[in-house]
Amino acid sequence: MHEIAAPQPYVIALFLVWAALTKLLSRQAREQAGRTALARLTGPARAVPALMLVGLAELAVAAALLLPPARPVEGAAAVALSTGFLAYLGYAHRVAPTSTCGCLGGHGRPVDRRAFARAGLLLAASVAALWAGPRPLTPPLAALGAAEVVALLALSAELDRHWLVPLRRLLVRLRRPLAAPPPRDVPLETSLRLLYRSPAYCSAAAHLTSDVREVWDEDDVRFVVYAARDRTAVFGVPLGGTDPADVRVALVEGAPLAPPSASRT
Amino acid sequence: MARTPSTDPPADLLAPVQGEVSWFCCGTAWGPCSSTGRGACGTCNSGSLQHAWPNTSDACWAITRPDACGVSLSRRTCGYQHRTTSLCGGGTVVTAIADCGPQTDLFCGERSCCGSTCAGNRLIDLTPAAYSRIASLSTGLRPCEISTV
Amino acid sequence: MASRRDLLKSALLGAGAGVVAATALGSLGPEAAFAAEPRLGVDPGAADPDFAEGRIRSVKDDTLLVLGSNLVFHTIRVVGGTSLWKLGPVGLDQARPGDGLYARGVRMPDGMLAAESVWLNIVNVKGHVKNITREKVHLDHKGQDIVCHVVAGTSVAIHAGGPASGDLSVLRVGQHVQVLGAWRPDTNEVDIATVFSPH
Repeated sequence: MHEIAAPQPYVIALFLVWAALTKLLSRQAREQAGRTALARLTGPARAVPALMLVGLAELAVAAALLLPPARPVEGAAAVALSTGFLAYLGYAHRVAPTSTCGCLGGHGRPVDRRAFARAGLLLAASVAALWAGPRPLTPPLAALGAAEVVALLALSAELDRHWLVPLRRLLVRLRRPLAAPPPRDVPLETSLRLLYRSPAYCSAAAHLTSDVREVWDEDDVRFVVYAARDRTAVFGVPLGGTDPADVRVALVEGAPLAPPSASRT
Repeated sequence: MARTPSTDPPADLLAPVQGEVSWFCCGTAWGPCSSTGRGACGTCNSGSLQHAWPNTSDACWAITRPDACGVSLSRRTCGYQHRTTSLCGGGTVVTAIADCGPQTDLFCGERSCCGSTCAGNRLIDLTPAAYSRIASLSTGLRPCEISTV
Repeated sequence: MASRRDLLKSALLGAGAGVVAATALGSLGPEAAFAAEPRLGVDPGAADPDFAEGRIRSVKDDTLLVLGSNLVFHTIRVVGGTSLWKLGPVGLDQARPGDGLYARGVRMPDGMLAAESVWLNIVNVKGHVKNITREKVHLDHKGQDIVCHVVAGTSVAIHAGGPASGDLSVLRVGQHVQVLGAWRPDTNEVDIATVFSPH
């Protein structure tokens, strides 16, 4: 445990400095303070001062961890802070599930599993830091510390736009998961979207009392039927057409309505 | 598609404005809508004649930012009534504010058309009860005119 | 059915883009209620009596028994002019217990809602595209993960105001979209009808 403890103050301090600077210096973080669970906890008016206070506390603990001499009380302060983070996340998740964390500013997502995992990892590092002393940082221990930093960064949704989004975009470009052969038939939604944009639909919309009741294709025309109070509205949408002006309409009296159906036969 | 940032304070809604209307669900409803809850005003219900407005408070404005699309909208608080008129067919509905939204800035420049009439930018979201009074829910998005009552 | 369709088709071809005038018909049944103008006078902010929301508890003949989210039961009658939507127009046989529902119609004196339109499981959600995998769009909707399935031959995308296209490969990770679709009951999954992609 004593050896593992050696890199922990650096890992925790690095993370706390980042979090503190975001809170203290980022205009965006201050602007979005009202959307955080902290605003729910302290009241919207006190959200920004509370955010600053937490930032100062983080900076103080980080400074204590980095500056000699190494004392157990510094690890205890980190444990207290990390426990507070976890408790805050629990509160946010339970009381304000749609609010953001405000931990590192910069994103609008509510608290999720990754936020809990990051706070848990920070708490584990803080507990290990209780045994930290003036020991040399050997290459394996430095690698352990680096791995922890990478894990903390990977768990930070605030950084997703810098690596996860571009990575996913690259994979989508390479794999083209939505590239499919063009459908054999024109999708009904394609015809309906053309219909909604048409002057014909506009002229008849006030008469319609139902959504689409019946659809069939005939002679390169898709017929779309609506109820129009005591009448029937029938639209003719050219299959494969793109000009809304080509859509035609008629309001018909006395045409019996078919049972509600999607039949295109 | 380019955004035209506006630094002017929101002007009062003296004249009707045209924009896009969509719908959202709220209340303890089924499906993915359950996360919405009762909205920013605590009164939102899918079955009631209500709407979301992008400028109900400073915090709301900071989220929706219609000014990023060059649109100024007046501050209206919970319960305030707007009239939404479909530019397609002329159906109209009067609703009360029950939530903050839509996120206008994320759809800047988007346009919906009906015949030769088009309107751009998402300015209002209606509950399903209200939207279905002026258009079918399956349309999802329509051009409209918004005015005060 | 063919003769009825022939009638509608000939009316359309004969009328061009015009609108045929009509006369009101009198009746006492639920269908007749649709001949009247929609009821006005509902206070803004109040519940609309001509609208129902909830989940289907049972389907019997042409009647849907629905439990509203506010724990109020609605009896909804599917009549001659009623449309049903479930990722598109469907028949009453597609309405199943457990389905979410919105319905608009006319409230009859006995409390039953004579439905004009019934939308089953319809959702209209906005969110960030978190990821795109094989025939799925993973959406972040207010912190909630929603898996949106691309249904071949049905799902379309409207990109930057263009025409609706069955090619959804225009969607990008990180962009904000609106998904209109049909919820798969008791899951976080949705079948896509239309994706609105503004940019």
